[in-house]
Amino acid sequence: MRRGLFILIVFAILISTFLVAQQVELKFLHRWPDPINQPFFENVVKDFEALNPDIKVNIQAISNDPFKEKIKIVLGTSEAPDVFFTWPGEFTNRFIRAGRIMDITDALVNTGWIDDFVYSQLEPFMYEGRFYGTPYRIDGKVFMYNRLLFEKAGVDFVPETWEELLAACEKLKKAGITPIFFGNEQPWAISHYIGTLNQKSVPEDVWLKDLDPAKGTWDHPGYVEALKKFVQLIPYFNQFPNAIKHAEARANFFAGKSAMMYVEIVEIPYIYRDAPVEFQENWGMFVFPDTGGPGNQKYLTGYPEGFVISADTKYPEQSLRFLKYLTGREAGRREFAEVGYLNGIKNLFDKDEVDPGTWDAVQLVLEAEAMANWLDSSLHARIWDVYSVQLQMLVDGVTTPEKVMQEVRKAADRVRAEF
Amino acid sequence: MRRKSYIFFILPALIMILIFVYFPIIQNFYFSFFKMSSYSPTRQFVGLNNYRMIFEDDVFYISLRNNTLYAVISVICQVGFGMLLAIILEGSFIGRKLKVFFRNVYFMPSLLSVTAVGLMFYFIYNPNIGLLNGILERIGLGDLKTAWLGNPKTAIYAVIAMSQWQYTGYIMVLLLVAIQKIPHEQYEAAEIDGANSFKKAIHITIPGIRDMITVCTVITVIGAFKLFTEIYVMTQGGPYNRTQVLGTFMYRAAFAYDEMGYGSAIAVIIFAITFLASLVQIKIVYKGRNN
Repeated sequence: MRRGLFILIVFAILISTFLVAQQVELKFLHRWPDPINQPFFENVVKDFEALNPDIKVNIQAISNDPFKEKIKIVLGTSEAPDVFFTWPGEFTNRFIRAGRIMDITDALVNTGWIDDFVYSQLEPFMYEGRFYGTPYRIDGKVFMYNRLLFEKAGVDFVPETWEELLAACEKLKKAGITPIFFGNEQPWAISHYIGTLNQKSVPEDVWLKDLDPAKGTWDHPGYVEALKKFVQLIPYFNQFPNAIKHAEARANFFAGKSAMMYVEIVEIPYIYRDAPVEFQENWGMFVFPDTGGPGNQKYLTGYPEGFVISADTKYPEQSLRFLKYLTGREAGRREFAEVGYLNGIKNLFDKDEVDPGTWDAVQLVLEAEAMANWLDSSLHARIWDVYSVQLQMLVDGVTTPEKVMQEVRKAADRVRAEF
Repeated sequence: MRRKSYIFFILPALIMILIFVYFPIIQNFYFSFFKMSSYSPTRQFVGLNNYRMIFEDDVFYISLRNNTLYAVISVICQVGFGMLLAIILEGSFIGRKLKVFFRNVYFMPSLLSVTAVGLMFYFIYNPNIGLLNGILERIGLGDLKTAWLGNPKTAIYAVIAMSQWQYTGYIMVLLLVAIQKIPHEQYEAAEIDGANSFKKAIHITIPGIRDMITVCTVITVIGAFKLFTEIYVMTQGGPYNRTQVLGTFMYRAAFAYDEMGYGSAIAVIIFAITFLASLVQIKIVYKGRNN
């Protein structure tokens, strides 16, 4: 009897040792180390590990701005994460060109995995006809407004054209209300305005060519027009936009210190977390007004964010399994319930399962004719470096639209010469 | 034989220094001749092109100017004002208990983490909820309110002011220790000769701590050219590069814009400046001793 028990214990130890030896460890890097998102990722990983006992996932998280810097360094080392966050567009394309991201086209197409996604949200992860990632959260930029302040100022319309937006701003300003809160300490905030205005002010073929660092000349007069339009908005912003962070601006907007703000739809969850009840019951949104420019006015600025797999991973099959789970239906429903984001899976929710604001916002993204990528992540780093500095100067009124574009053209020429 | 055995004691430290200090310096110098990024295995030899680009880059001159400004103001405030405080605290103007109290009060900020102090001042300078604008408003100087870190005219001075607040006490303590080493007989002799406190400070104290003043000046100047955390935490070089210093200029090139070779070239320039400052220090100290 004792001998039998001994053999059983030895056998159990051997089996568990064998299983542990068979287990692979994946390194997973995302950019949300905050107390709301971090537990969500931990829960998703826990569920995934329960379903896949042969895989252990080690989570690492670095916040937004440091992430942009550190991912470049870590990808050049043997410590590169197997699965990691990225912004599609030039931010990712440079890593693809350097052979750092795994091509997942075959896995997507051959297994029918591709059919799970809303195609417009998957397409941004395509580079030269091949897929490299899957969407984790969909996003788009809209003007959010405070209905009570609109009423107070007698603005009884929702702006649909640029002229109407200016008219609304003027009425609000005359009523002693700051029309738009804008926090541009980190200039990605202005990139959303200028990216939208560029796309609407320049013919589509020219705009797409200029986003390509190997071809972009940035000499179309529409870019100057876009900046001139932006300059028209400056008198309607709060004081010191270059000294205020976007999150601080959002907090002021929620607190009723301004009537409008240009925000991402992924910021809607903050309304229900942080805003006073009065705001929660009286907010609305509208898409960026028609500027009358030669660009497509039906585009929506915004791009999904997602995850990719390192080309150097030792465990491509396991990494694919994790990616599929992380950006799949089950994790997607949990993602919405726990952090309020929606991933790119088709028909993830019915209308009665989500709040009306989120539903309307998501419909805007899904129904947009196409998406215009964020300006900062669609540009070559050195062009954005010059562009961002010049745009901050434009906000302070120390340069002109013409001079801004002169500097951008010089930077684009230097970059183009290297391709 | 005994003489040779010293080598075994020196060797481990020497190897460590060679591997972790000198080798990276040489490697960095080598990298400065390449165009390379951190995530791409390929690199392209560009000769002196990175250095040419630095001297053509306006941000380099802004950085150099800001480092120099930081050094000059720090020498005046930290060394000058620190010396004044040290003389006062070692003089007979105030009681012993008060001396101890003020020594601690002035020294304490230097014990705090630069990042924490940077964040604290970031909030003090906030244009909407900041303490500074709040005080100005309360005392009727509301017209002076500004975005201290967002205004290109005030941003670099706002950062420099924070450093003076933090490190003047540290320099003061170094000078205080030097003052305590001056033989008391010199002061007694001066008193017999009828020297007042001012004359004692000018003719005994300051000459007596000249070496330490030199060391403090050089520490401050070298520190000014190694500046990074304060800027990174408070302004990240903005608004529009007006608060860039060589450290953040290098970091931005290397880590934000993937120009590792360019970043290495900037590092070589920082190395050259700080190395020169150290040489000057050594020379001045030796000259002082020989005299």
